[in-house]
Amino acid sequence: MTLFERVFGGNDAVYGLTEAAIDNAIAQYGEGQAVSFPDTAYSLPCYYAVTGVKVNTLGELKAALGVVKTLMTRNNRLNDAFMSGVATALCAEFLEVLKYLNGATPYEQPCYGHISDAFVRNLGVPLVTGDIPGVAVILGSAPSADEAVELVKAYQSQGILVTLIGGVIDQLQEKGYKTGDAVRVVPLGMDVTAVIHVVSIALRAALIFGNVTPGDAANLMKYTMERIPAFVNAFKPLDDVIVACGAGAIALGFPVVTNETENIYRVPKSLIVQEDVSKFNATSLEARDIKIKITKIDIPVSFASAFEGEVIRRGDMQVEVDGSRVDCFELVSTKEPAEIEDHKIIVDGPELDEIPVGSKISLSYIVEVAGKAMQPDFESVMERKFHSYINCVEGVMHTGQRDMIRIRISKACYEAGFRFKHIGEVLYAKIKSEFEAVVDKCQVKIVVDAEKNKDLRAYANEVFAKRDDRLRSMTDESVPVYYTCTLCQAFSPSHVCIVTPERLGLCGAVSWLDAKATNELDPQGPCQIVPKTRCIDENLGRYEDVDEAVNKYSHGALEHVTLYSLFQDPMTSCGCFECICGVEPVSMGVVITCREHAGMTPLGMTFSEMASMTGGGVQTPGFMGHGKQFISSKKFLKAEGGLGRIVWMPKELKDMVRERLDAAAKDLYDVDNFTDMIADETVCTEDPEQLLNYLSEVGHPVLSMEPFDM
Amino acid sequence: MKDWDRLITVEEMEAATASLLENGKKVGADSWQQRVKNQTPHCGFGEAGTCCRICSMGPCRITPKSPRGICGCDVHGIVGRNFLRFTVGGTAAHSDHGREIMHTLYETKEDGNYTVKDPEKLIRIAKEWDMETEGKDIYELAHEVAVKGLMEYGKPFGTQLFAKRAPEHTQQLWENAGITPRAIDREVSEAMHMTHMGCSSLPEALVHQALRAGLSDGWGGSMMGTEFSDVLFGTPKPIDTTANLGVMEKDMVNIVVHGHDPSLSEMVVHYANDPEMIALAKSLGAKGINVCGVCCTANEVAMRHGIPMAGNFLSQENVVLTGACEAIVVDIQCIFPALGPLSKCFHTKFITTSHIARMPDSEFIEFSTESAAENAKAIVKTAVENFKNRTPELVNIPDIKTNARVGYSVEAIVKVLDGVANSQVDTFGTTKPLLECVTSGVLRGAVAMVGCNNPKIRPDYAHIELMKKFLKNDIIVIVSGCSAQAAAKAGLMDPVLAKEYCGAGLKRVCELAGIPPVLHMGSCVDISRMLILAAELSKDSGIPISQLPVLGCAPEWMSEKAVSIGNYVVATGLDTFLGVDPYVKGSSEMGEWLTGEHGIKKWVEANYTVETDIEKMGDLMIERIEAKRAALGI
Repeated sequence: MTLFERVFGGNDAVYGLTEAAIDNAIAQYGEGQAVSFPDTAYSLPCYYAVTGVKVNTLGELKAALGVVKTLMTRNNRLNDAFMSGVATALCAEFLEVLKYLNGATPYEQPCYGHISDAFVRNLGVPLVTGDIPGVAVILGSAPSADEAVELVKAYQSQGILVTLIGGVIDQLQEKGYKTGDAVRVVPLGMDVTAVIHVVSIALRAALIFGNVTPGDAANLMKYTMERIPAFVNAFKPLDDVIVACGAGAIALGFPVVTNETENIYRVPKSLIVQEDVSKFNATSLEARDIKIKITKIDIPVSFASAFEGEVIRRGDMQVEVDGSRVDCFELVSTKEPAEIEDHKIIVDGPELDEIPVGSKISLSYIVEVAGKAMQPDFESVMERKFHSYINCVEGVMHTGQRDMIRIRISKACYEAGFRFKHIGEVLYAKIKSEFEAVVDKCQVKIVVDAEKNKDLRAYANEVFAKRDDRLRSMTDESVPVYYTCTLCQAFSPSHVCIVTPERLGLCGAVSWLDAKATNELDPQGPCQIVPKTRCIDENLGRYEDVDEAVNKYSHGALEHVTLYSLFQDPMTSCGCFECICGVEPVSMGVVITCREHAGMTPLGMTFSEMASMTGGGVQTPGFMGHGKQFISSKKFLKAEGGLGRIVWMPKELKDMVRERLDAAAKDLYDVDNFTDMIADETVCTEDPEQLLNYLSEVGHPVLSMEPFDM
Repeated sequence: MKDWDRLITVEEMEAATASLLENGKKVGADSWQQRVKNQTPHCGFGEAGTCCRICSMGPCRITPKSPRGICGCDVHGIVGRNFLRFTVGGTAAHSDHGREIMHTLYETKEDGNYTVKDPEKLIRIAKEWDMETEGKDIYELAHEVAVKGLMEYGKPFGTQLFAKRAPEHTQQLWENAGITPRAIDREVSEAMHMTHMGCSSLPEALVHQALRAGLSDGWGGSMMGTEFSDVLFGTPKPIDTTANLGVMEKDMVNIVVHGHDPSLSEMVVHYANDPEMIALAKSLGAKGINVCGVCCTANEVAMRHGIPMAGNFLSQENVVLTGACEAIVVDIQCIFPALGPLSKCFHTKFITTSHIARMPDSEFIEFSTESAAENAKAIVKTAVENFKNRTPELVNIPDIKTNARVGYSVEAIVKVLDGVANSQVDTFGTTKPLLECVTSGVLRGAVAMVGCNNPKIRPDYAHIELMKKFLKNDIIVIVSGCSAQAAAKAGLMDPVLAKEYCGAGLKRVCELAGIPPVLHMGSCVDISRMLILAAELSKDSGIPISQLPVLGCAPEWMSEKAVSIGNYVVATGLDTFLGVDPYVKGSSEMGEWLTGEHGIKKWVEANYTVETDIEKMGDLMIERIEAKRAALGI
């Protein structure tokens, strides 16, 4: 039998029952007898929502059944199956309302039967905020009472509203499991027709919150599909009536997950056969695209940014993970969804309580993520967050990155019950919540085994090397778009950063890949795509697109910005830049100083004095805030001759950028050890003459450059 | 179901054409519409396929009074020979296109004009061909694969490597019938030999060779054209673009690329984005450079770069008639020689680039892999410099434009299907989600719509009307070539609007998968993608291709290539519906062989249906799909 034949058959059966029941009721009470559900202003809510007609009497109910019949067309098309499903649901509503005839109270504890309007209205806010992330409809009997409890408990722990129909109610009773709307587990009734009481919730939500006009069936179904995160778990055996009801659910956009394998057809994202009941939860959430917000991290100590700067001294240390001596690393790795299990934390090797106090151990953790929108480019963006995540754990200190990490866990933390698996919990919870848009599944592997880590580290280093190659190969020319970053507009409302591969945000924290990831995670957020199709001047880095973007996102405060010039419309600064450069007029070079350097510069200004020249989104030709990484870029001051203009930097900063700066200078000017040619505070602090002497002495390339075109 | 209110109708397109023809009248332009009138009525013997001019004793024409040619060949032999020659004309053209691509692959180098853009695909195919890939530089591998691929054209022994991609059952059928394709050039040559004076005149033998030659195209030359275009230029993935004549820009330099081989158009697209060229265009008063496409070249660049599609086969004169076309740059196949004289009526430069397609009244800039960059730059420059020669009064760009999402390679389709799979129960990387939609009845089946325009059919009408009918009946449509552009021009590839014209099942599939109901699979060589998709569906379901509720259809076909395609589609097991008779109606035996129950159907489990009444054809096809479903019990 085809799926549609089953739907049609089930629908016909229910229709027959309904017709007989209405006729019997009329025979008993007469056509004038009133029919209604208690505590609702929506008559028979489902019938009213679908047709726009209120039914008040048995006579009208009979007429309504005639309307239902018109939905029961029998072409072999999904529309017919959907409409037959809806017709089945409406018949169920009619059968249920007959139970309330003549003031009867058909439902008793624990079952609710018809749900009041007040209940529906109370659902609005939590559904919108995601406090109730979904609505589960569980129908039939689970293979065992324990499995029924397990399933309900799993949904409950995720905040999902659970409604129950049929045998599962008895199974929960049997186990003494607490039900009721206070715990978000609502038994509706024993008959399959009681399913209409949850459909009634969904359809009233569409009328109440969605402002759908009663009778506008197309918009009604669009609303439930797009807005009501409900789904059905139907236990075997599924008869034709349940299949017909399922067609109705699917018509409204609610997928059905079942363990029935006999005489059933699979339909992607709609009718899913899952034989393993313990996976109903995960299967259903994925089918309905429900992502559970993680608000609480399951660890025995506190988690807060207050602990981020906490230092663990040697004496207080339970163990130390020391990447400088043994093989350690942290890594994010993209997997196929089928390869990993969500929220699985694997600790391979001894747990913390099996390791002697004060040990220096080899440890690695690989966070494996999968998601339809996940891209390998996001791996490093996530990885960079680990430092902050792990540091936020009370009693845990983390420094470094990649294979040079150091983690200390304090004795107090250990005594509070903290174990390695909790590192997994923290990483899981933070990755899932902060990267919700791209991570559907996440699994953490922690390896505490020096031998294994040796090989794993070699593998991780291959991954890092590949990523570095990709980053190095990315130039402003090789990417199709740039991004804005307006993260700082909270305190600098007219500043806009334009982030390119070679010019990261001036705070040093937002690389092009970060901006790309931010854009994908939050398309309306601070990082917007800037096309680069309309170049005006390649040397200056002047684009019509960039001008349009800064104009738009600075709300008109800025009209033009170049990417590579210090004098012609330089990029503005918010105030949180890592470094600032300023023109040194005697040598016709630039001086760079960084936040960490408190001392004087040859300009006669300190970092904060120079910083006051710009910032707040103001353009000051000759002064420009920027990130450290930009210093060694071939695009740095490109319009003015490039990084060869740099004449002075604090020693500390020189050491930080030396390697890449030397390489870039070699390529640009064929000069070796360029960083050494740059003066620092050990050569001169305030005297420009002294500076000039030094530059002549070392043969600094700036001396052969044209004067600035100020 | 909504009426046809939000998309572009055939009537609107015809109104646009009419206004363009008015434009043409002002400058004394000729048009295909006029030439059709001049050529009507067509020669009856030619139409029936009953004229033979293979030797110089004739020409012989078969009538009731003269039932045999001078050599004694009967009408069935004559029609059969003509059919076979018609087929291999197409096989040769398609496969030669594929061969060019292989030569381009051979010329790739790290910093060359052409590079390998999809190395993974290259490695995958090399492994499939049992070649060593480990430790090899990608270009070393590319050259080895190119040589091996080129050998498929002339190898003395063995059969086509890609034929192994077909399901076991299909391979067995081919083996049993003796139609597993051998070297491509051999199949073409042998067909020419068989049809030489004094060789085959037995319909069975001629049809047999037509199938085998067709298969050497579909599972040989065309498939290489497709697969290695992907290796060279990237495997298409969904990308948004626009379609119909309104994509031409009034204030920009319009370069129209037309033909089939992406090697040229890829380069033109590249140099049209060159800042130097854009600056030049601006200095001449244009706002920029707009490349758009016609015919299959448009399909190629649309699905890899989102280049807009101005139109299909019978729109090629329209783009010139807008008076806003600075250059129409053509490579090979389906190019009207009429473009030469027509371009002379306007400022348009008609630039031919291939020694395969030389035409009067054109500027010939021969394109070669070594000098591709210079050639393309020269072409773009010529076009840009021509902007100033426009006659503003003649500029008439019809205001019709649609959105289209294109680029559904098999790889992309599988990716879309992964998106609706459930990782808790499904395996990824298969066509199973699509099969589940079909077996459950949510989708009734699939139709592969392909082929050209033909003045014998109201242009685009058959494509669009059939598609509308299929969409309403929950039949998903995959398209390529000019059929794809017909859909795009009408708006049927609009990812937002088009689903409103579908039945509930197809609409739901579009919503859940985020696809338009008509999937653009590429150019006409890319019909090989459809073969692969059919093969995957068969392998994933265990159901022979011929039993799947999937059909082929070419309602407005016109070229020899289309007949070659028809032969390989049918021989792969897909019942194929034609809206134009392939010049065989003069022979009842040929009719039986191609469309009957006892002809090719015995060999390949599928046959042709020729139906010129489009409404009827649609009904027949739905009936056939439902019959196949019933046979499967789904």
